[in-house]
Order: sequence, then C-alpha cells, then structure tokens
Amino acid sequence: MADGILLERAGLPAVSICTDPFALTARAMASAYGFPGFEYVSIPHPVASLTVLEIRSRVRDLMPDLLRILGVE
Amino acid sequence: MLGDPPFVEDAAAVRAAMEYYAEQGWTDGLPVVPVTESYLAEFLASVDRDPGDVLLDMPQLNRSLTVRLAAINAALAGCLPLYFPVVVAAWESLAAEGYPVRGIWQSTTGTAPFLIVNGPVRERIGLNSSGNVFGSGFRANATIGRAIRLGVLNAFGLRPHELDQATQGTPAKYTFCIGENEEESPWPGLHVDFGLSSGDSAVTAVVIRSCVHIEARHTRVPEQLATDIAGTISRTGALIHETISAAVVLSPEHARLFSTAGWSKDDIRSFLYSHAVVSWSKLAAAGKEAVSSKTRWRLPSDHPDALPVAASGGMVRVLNSPEAVLVVVAGAGNSGVSAVVETFGPRGGPPPVTRVRL
Repeated sequence: MADGILLERAGLPAVSICTDPFALTARAMASAYGFPGFEYVSIPHPVASLTVLEIRSRVRDLMPDLLRILGVE
Repeated sequence: MLGDPPFVEDAAAVRAAMEYYAEQGWTDGLPVVPVTESYLAEFLASVDRDPGDVLLDMPQLNRSLTVRLAAINAALAGCLPLYFPVVVAAWESLAAEGYPVRGIWQSTTGTAPFLIVNGPVRERIGLNSSGNVFGSGFRANATIGRAIRLGVLNAFGLRPHELDQATQGTPAKYTFCIGENEEESPWPGLHVDFGLSSGDSAVTAVVIRSCVHIEARHTRVPEQLATDIAGTISRTGALIHETISAAVVLSPEHARLFSTAGWSKDDIRSFLYSHAVVSWSKLAAAGKEAVSSKTRWRLPSDHPDALPVAASGGMVRVLNSPEAVLVVVAGAGNSGVSAVVETFGPRGGPPPVTRVRL
C-alpha cells in the first residue's frame, strides 16, 4: 500500500494488490499515509505457494479491477 | 487477612484511570499504571537526555519514538524510574539492530525484541539472571520488556489486526528481558566480548522469533552438548531465508562443562558454525533445498525463481558464519538445561551492545 501511494504521489499511476486477509492492515497503512480512501485490488489468499499457472489465473481475474482503478478505458 | 491499606479510598479512582487507559487501547491487554506529569518527570530526570530526542524512527510509518514517549510507556508498563536508563539503552540498541527500522514489526513472521542486560545495573534494579530467567516473578524483567512493547503499540501504532500483521506472534511480545548470569559464568560478559568494561552496564537487543529449550543433563563431553545445540539450530522449520542465526543461552552448568574442557565462547561459535548442518535430502523432503533468486527465501529446486542448486547431496550449513551465533550465560546453576533463542534472519558482525548511561 505504501509503495502504491508513494508512486501515485510521485505522479506514477499505480495500483496496490493485497490478499484478502490483509484488508485491515491495508486500510490502516493507507490511513497512516493520509490516504484512507486509497483504492486497491484485493485477491484470494494465499499467493506464495501457487504455481505459475495458478498465478497467471489470479492475474487474469484481477485485471478488470486493476484497469478500472487505473482509469483505463 | 490483611486490613484495608491506607490508600483504599483512592483505589476506585486508580481503577477508573486504568479502565480509561484500557478503553483508549493503550495496553497490551494487561492493566497499565496511570501516568501523571509529575511521575513522568521522575523518569525523565533519570537520564541526561532531551525529552524530544528521537530514539527510534520508522520513516515508512512517518512516526518516531522520542525519549518522552519512551518514558510514558515505561511508566505505563510498571517500570520504576530507576529502570528508565535501561529502557533508553534498549531502544538505542533496537535502532542499531536494524530489523525494526526496516519494518520487521509489521511482518507476518511475528517477531519480538529479546533484551540481554549486562553489568552492575542488573543488581541495582533487581533484574533476574538466574533461576526461571525466561519466566515470571521479577518486576524489572517483566516491565522493561513490556515498556518496549507498549512503545511499539502506542507510539508506532503497531497493533495486532491493524499494522502488526503477525500470523501468530510469540509470547515474547509481552516481555523478553534477561540479565546475563555473569556471576556464574566462566567467561567475561557479552558486553566485555564486544569492547565494554566489566564495570559498564549494557543492553543488547536482538529481534527473535522463538525460544527452544535443550535437555542435556546426561553428558560431560563438550562435543556431545555442542552437537545437541547444533541439532536444535538446524531444524528445517526455522529456515525461511538461506541461513538463520541464534542466541545460545547456556545455563551455568553447561557453560562450565565447556569451559572446564578448555572451550571459549568463540570455540563454541566455530563448532556450531561447522556442525549446524542439515542434509540436502532432508531439506528437499521439506521442499527447502533451493534459494529464490529474488528474495533469498528457501523453496523447492523446481520453483521458477529457484537459483541452480550446486549439489544434490551432502550437508548444508544453516549459519553463514560463527558470528551468526551469540553465546550468553543465564539461568540457575541447577541442571543441564539450556536454550536456543532463534534470532530473526541471517546475521554476522558484532551485535548492538549499547552502554547504559547511568
């Protein structure tokens, strides 16, 4: 979350991606950075133990949300 | 039965203050001691520091812990003002240690600080270094470690379910502060090993994950005991990175066993470096035989991020150097029981031994 907010503030469009169990922390970190409404993508947990194919599938699933937050038409 | 103490008429007010503090979330779950400006002044008077001096800075949170905030939290924790110079040195040591500043206290791993205190201050404040050294019963041990935890919660806002993402954490998050048992150690104290004099007092803070005990009452052979310790250090479950590190807390009986056989602390560290090994096949059975090119975390050799594995056989060292091990003496001199405190992450070089300015 911190990286996403800092990139946005530096003028680089960015979307943070977290897994669902990190929702509380994600909001707390965004608040700590003075950006409580910072929009991000939340995906199912876990990620660390997935195969490449499973990771690709997660990415395909999250792309619409990611593009929407970026404002891509 | 005791009669009512003379302050009984104030007890309800004290309880109300404690409940108010709990409602504000200013606790670790246990009741805290109400703090007034006059009581705070006693803590600040015990150190030659400006209340605004920053002891630990976390730029990623845009938050800092000042001497004043450290004092408030030490008072909340139940420290006596007499303990505060030790608390300040503990914060300075944690700043020098490196992992907290880099954000480890927000990590899922769930680490806690382990404070080792050396020198005459132990006796001055009644800090336990002998029997039940990791256990309860001693105000200085209980509250100095707690002063750090409350500072982490209240000054940095690293609360569970919020910015502290620990999956399970560790009981050491309440307190983990010991004195070295210099009086029953055959060697100079930890602080003397790293350049201070025996008349100095010092705090050495290291971030830890677990504390694993070793039962070895059966032997007088130093190689057997050291092998038992090495076997504990090299368990696969502790390996997240390529290598790990450890603080070996020897009971006086085990320390004397080594010293009688002519071993120095450096001899123990060298032996452990050589013998804290795990077979490649055992690592592979746990899926930890390779290392990630991106994170240096352990993973299976067929993972896309895995670096090529040099050899698919033989033994793998789990320590990167003898300096990855600290040797400390603590506990009672009544049995062959010691402990491996699993310090977080790969380490080397001198630990952050920090002088207590009394």
